[in-house]
Amino acid sequence: MNSPCGKLVRRFGFLCGVCGLLLSAPTVAGAMEVRLNSQTLLLFMQRNTSTSADASVIPLYEYLQADIGARSTRGLSFHFYGWAREDLNDSDYYKDNPDGELLYGYLNYSRPFNNLNLRLGRQYVIGGLANNSIDGLSLQTDLGPDFVLSIYGGLPVAFDTTAGRSGDSIFGGRLVWHSDSLHEVGLSYQKTSNDGSTEDQRLGLDLTLALPAGVNLSGRSTYNLESDGFGENFYEARFALSDFNFRTFFENYTYADYFAPGKQTPNPFYVLNRGGEAQTNFGGDVVWRMSSDWEFGAKTKFYTYDVNSSSAAYYSGLITWHGQDLTQIGGEVGTMQGDAADNKYILSRAFFYWDRPAGLPLAFISGDLLYAAYDQPIYGQDNSFFASLGAGQRFLDDRLELKLSGDYSSDPYFDSDLRTMLVANYRFDY
Amino acid sequence: MPRRPLLFSLLLLFSFLLLVACSVHDQGYSLPAQHPPEADLGRNRPTCTDCHEERGGPLAFADFNHTAYFAESHRNAAGRNVQVCNMCHQPSFCNTCHATGIELKPSVKNQSDTYSRTPHHGDYLSRHRIDGRIDPGSCFRCHGNPKAARTCAPCHG
Ligand code: HEC
Ligand code: HEC
Ligand code: HEC
Ligand code: HEC
Ligand code: HEC
Repeated sequence: MNSPCGKLVRRFGFLCGVCGLLLSAPTVAGAMEVRLNSQTLLLFMQRNTSTSADASVIPLYEYLQADIGARSTRGLSFHFYGWAREDLNDSDYYKDNPDGELLYGYLNYSRPFNNLNLRLGRQYVIGGLANNSIDGLSLQTDLGPDFVLSIYGGLPVAFDTTAGRSGDSIFGGRLVWHSDSLHEVGLSYQKTSNDGSTEDQRLGLDLTLALPAGVNLSGRSTYNLESDGFGENFYEARFALSDFNFRTFFENYTYADYFAPGKQTPNPFYVLNRGGEAQTNFGGDVVWRMSSDWEFGAKTKFYTYDVNSSSAAYYSGLITWHGQDLTQIGGEVGTMQGDAADNKYILSRAFFYWDRPAGLPLAFISGDLLYAAYDQPIYGQDNSFFASLGAGQRFLDDRLELKLSGDYSSDPYFDSDLRTMLVANYRFDY
Repeated sequence: MPRRPLLFSLLLLFSFLLLVACSVHDQGYSLPAQHPPEADLGRNRPTCTDCHEERGGPLAFADFNHTAYFAESHRNAAGRNVQVCNMCHQPSFCNTCHATGIELKPSVKNQSDTYSRTPHHGDYLSRHRIDGRIDPGSCFRCHGNPKAARTCAPCHG
């Protein structure tokens, strides 16, 4: 089976197998709800490969999602999401990358009583300082009316590429105390090991406070137990005042403690954690929804450092007009102003999305324009231009959606790059 | 620590907690598994405080308002309780931008969803040198492990 077709079958065989299994599941499980979602992307582009310049690269991606079991009520359910890719032109462009990945595949059991949630399999754990993909078990439950506990453990997916998985582990948890849901204090812990040695061990403290005048304060501090120091402090305040939403924040990172000092920390971060640098940023954003049609936003962020004496500031503003459904036209202009000349750029973007365009047999038309200008040229060019145009149509009671888009880019990396993409989304419900 | 005993003790801990969880009687608030479909949110970014009181309800709703900047400012809201997000989003939605081992840039995977402020729009290879120099901490959150930094390796080693 070495024909392209055979390869395809092999590569996507796994996904097809899962698909078949899932399709037969309802007969087995009786009245169980089954939802399948398939997203197929076909890209055409030209890239330099190790054997030829401007080779055609034609990757076909399949993203498959399956959810079995009730969604609206609690109980037992199974969730799956993964992707696979095959270059139809057989170039070696992707030779260093894996051809697919299981993003998640887990059994979920939950019940309203005690907000119990139990997950087994590959899953993302998020909460407090955790934002990881694990192969393992996680549990969340209320402990009485004032406490919530979550714990998880298993193998870290992030390290499965480094010398196998034996000796790898990740575990951690979070204990939350809340007087009501507007005031919370959470304490979290996580430890990861790779090939038998500790990579990282952290303690996190997060809090949420509802202050007077409608101000909500929330934030988190993380302490690195391996390097003994606070890596991260991040606090923000939000409040809504009539049609305005305000947010201000303060954050501080000590590189040696934040960029885990473990052996598996990838570059450029591993190099950065050697420099004794610390960074403090603050800023805010405000969004004004003047009416149901118009939305205005502004954002600033200031950056200062302990060692490096050059600071930086980012300013941006945006306007969006909303029409029927998702119809939107918007623009955004921003500028990064670093003290150093090679840290300055202006970025502007304009986009539209026309939902169900009148008089046209299409579900949508969309467009995107991006222009960036750099103070100091990169590879001799001081700007990047990007344009994209797309259109889509839906069929079979909206279960099938076809989308076609073309992107053009002229930038320091590509003189003139054209990429087209065909997407088929298929939704299947039992 | 060797792996066997570690896994074993974890398993024990889990079973113990499960027992406790099932026996403690709880009068606490329980989020619905799904945001009530009859609320008819539409497909636009929701402003929770359009329909919910800012205070007095089960959440500090203003924190969850999906403002135009929400795509880059939801870290606290999500880190506090993902079950809130799960009422309306499946994890696959988050995986567009957050995944350990996804190859396509978010803005490429959903290229024609121009209304979404996905990160890294357009030519990011050029801009990332500047963003990365100025704010490497913000990149570490998503690229700080070997698997999520695989696309960086050819240049960063
Ligand atoms: C279009 C109006 C609308 C918007 C926008 C909206 N909701 Fe709701 N929501 C409802 C309705 C209606 C209900 C059901 C009635 C109720 O329980 O308040 C509900 C229920 C809820 C509940 C359960 C309340 C309970 O008492 O158990 C939560 C939690 C919730 N919404 C969170 C959110 C969050 C978070 C957002 C913003 C991301 C949001 N909602 C946006 C209309 C809305
Ligand atoms: C009440 C339902 C509701 C809840 C609760 C909710 N979202 Fe959303 N969210 C939406 C809808 C609707 C959209 C717009 C549709 C889309 O982008 O696909 C959206 C869009 C988003 C976007 C994309 C924004 C953009 O500009 O592209 C992000 C990121 C997001 N949500 C994160 C979260 C996180 C994190 C949470 C939990 C803290 C959360 N959401 C809770 C309904 C909800
Ligand atoms: C459109 C892209 C996008 C989507 C979709 C998205 N996020 Fe994020 N998320 C981001 C960005 C960008 C950041 C970093 C923000 C920053 O630097 O503060 C982030 C940060 C986070 C963090 C903080 C990570 C850390 O280590 O501090 C969490 C937790 C998170 N997101 C959860 C979610 C969840 C849960 C969902 C789905 C409901 C989601 N995100 C969907 C773009 C996205
Ligand atoms: C919310 C998560 C998130 C954050 C935060 C984030 N990225 Fe990414 N980035 C991704 C994803 C997903 C991809 C696509 C998969 C990949 O290349 O690993 C990507 C791709 C890239 C690429 C490859 C782009 C290309 O055109 O091939 C670069 C370079 C990059 N990121 C740099 C950065 C830098 C620098 C920062 C910080 C300023 C950053 N990223 C912050 C999620 C994120
Ligand atoms: C095509 C090559 C290329 C790729 C791929 C690439 N980078 Fe870079 N990156 C560079 C160059 C060149 C610089 C500028 C180095 C300098 O200023 O000395 C840079 C700078 C950075 C910086 C600033 C710190 C430093 O070392 O100067 C960060 C952070 C960064 N990149 C993150 C990433 C991440 C994360 C990815 C992968 C998601 C990535 N890069 C992928 C070429 C690349």
